[in-house]
Amino acid sequence: MQREGYVPPTAGGSGAGAGSSRPGGGYGDAPRQTSMKYLCADCGKSVTLNKADPIRCKECGFRILYKERTKRMVQFEAR
Amino acid sequence: MAPSKEELERRRIVGVELERVSNVTSTDFPGHYPGEDHSWDLNDFKKRFKIDIHRANDLHYEFDLIGVDASVANAFRRILISEVPTLAIETVFVHNNTSIVQDEVLAQRLGLVPLRGDKKGFQQLRWRKKSPDEPTAEATDFNTVVMTLKVACTRNHATPATETDPSKLYFNSSVYARDLKFAPQGRQSSWFSGAGEIRPVNPDILLAKLRPGQEIDLEIHCVLGIGQDHAKFSPVATASYRLLPSIKIKQPITGGDAQKFVNCFPKGVAEIQKDKKTGEDTAVVVNPRKDTVSREVLRHDEFKGKVELGRIRDHFIFSIESTGMYNSDELFLQAVQILKKKCTDFQEKLMEC
Amino acid sequence: MADHDETLPDAPEYATSNVEISDDDEPLDLSRENNAKIIMLGSATDDDSCASFQFENEDHTLGNALRWIIMKNPQVEFCGYSIPHPSETKMNMRIQTYGEITAKDALIKGLADLRDLCDVVTDKFVTERERFMSEKGRQS
Repeated sequence: MQREGYVPPTAGGSGAGAGSSRPGGGYGDAPRQTSMKYLCADCGKSVTLNKADPIRCKECGFRILYKERTKRMVQFEAR
Repeated sequence: MAPSKEELERRRIVGVELERVSNVTSTDFPGHYPGEDHSWDLNDFKKRFKIDIHRANDLHYEFDLIGVDASVANAFRRILISEVPTLAIETVFVHNNTSIVQDEVLAQRLGLVPLRGDKKGFQQLRWRKKSPDEPTAEATDFNTVVMTLKVACTRNHATPATETDPSKLYFNSSVYARDLKFAPQGRQSSWFSGAGEIRPVNPDILLAKLRPGQEIDLEIHCVLGIGQDHAKFSPVATASYRLLPSIKIKQPITGGDAQKFVNCFPKGVAEIQKDKKTGEDTAVVVNPRKDTVSREVLRHDEFKGKVELGRIRDHFIFSIESTGMYNSDELFLQAVQILKKKCTDFQEKLMEC
Repeated sequence: MADHDETLPDAPEYATSNVEISDDDEPLDLSRENNAKIIMLGSATDDDSCASFQFENEDHTLGNALRWIIMKNPQVEFCGYSIPHPSETKMNMRIQTYGEITAKDALIKGLADLRDLCDVVTDKFVTERERFMSEKGRQS
């Protein structure tokens, strides 16, 4: 199972940042996601929304959506 | 000059009076009583010291330590609780947890699960960190035990529509300690193999509940530690002692008072017997061990001056309940060894300088 | 598993030097190394009959037991211990002798006596356990 790891934005990395004239890294360098996945609080289906979409489940019309849990590994101390 | 019998008996007993205790401190030191020795004598100690086992289960030992000072008995008790090392879950790497139990709560619950495994195998393990302020060493097969917990809940389609029991409706609706799977690293597969595999002592501990679509996927690292650092490392549920109660009847308690006297104690402590000379009903103490020293007798005027309560100063009723990594008797022996090691280590260090 | 998961590297050299599993009944002895730390706080007299010692990482467990056994020494005039501050894991012990031995000797003797005591306790416990178990076996 492949999970997305955290990729720190670097100025020397491949992609937009490398040859760019904009100094420093930052949010602008990260690949801009156009859509986000949510979970419907009512029917449990996965809902993909774009920036301007109304916040609404496409299956049942319910207006409460949850964010998905991070795919990153999280470390905890058992104390 | 040897002390009289009465004097020895007086020193042996810690008095328990209605509102106060008396004669509490030990006086068995040289120079305390003129003309008496009381200096440390190993042979004398060997003669007087006694252990008397009353209950010997793997997880619960009850025995009497007779002839030691409270400071020594207390040292054993304190070591049992906070200085005998055990293995416990220390770090939890959460890959996925969509259950309703929050990550940090789940991690904390996991930490408290007692673990067991091959006892010889544990001898191979080393500390990962010796004290909280030391940097944690790199994880190796010598200091870290890895376990995994990977459970996903699914619907059971074979159940009738009328079924309401979640354990039948769904697969893995509850996550139990038995779902923790040992993932041996390096040489650990030879140290902890077969029945000696590292596993929870009690497989039925409920860790979380799931519903279809929820899943828990964790990697868990266990390390050795001591109870001083965190209670999860404590090898005992309780380790405690109490002093043997003593009940002395100074004047005969007869007739109706005898029944009242017996009723002042828990069952089996005192009973009524016919006096051999007078044939009268007389109260006698048969088993002071069962007494809780509630001091109920001292509240009644009819027993004033007739009874003395106390506890025997050097008679400790020790009780050790293990959480399961080691048996209770092994724990006591380990505690004694740890105290001995402290002495040896400091002695060595003092000889050097 | 993803690539960022922790994998355990091999143990360093020092750890692999002791791989044979011992057959004796010795309890778990993690720190074969001696990490005890003790320093002598200034002695007030010239003859060293009085001294204070500071034990590191020790508390009432060793403190009180050691105090008791040192007080059993007839050449010791005074022995007491204290934990000056609850958040420092230090234990101070004061020993004053009548002058025939030094305070350090009294401490060493106390430690040795306490060690002997531990041996007696272990022996008695082991024999009593054997006796109890054989008796229990005969009954059932």
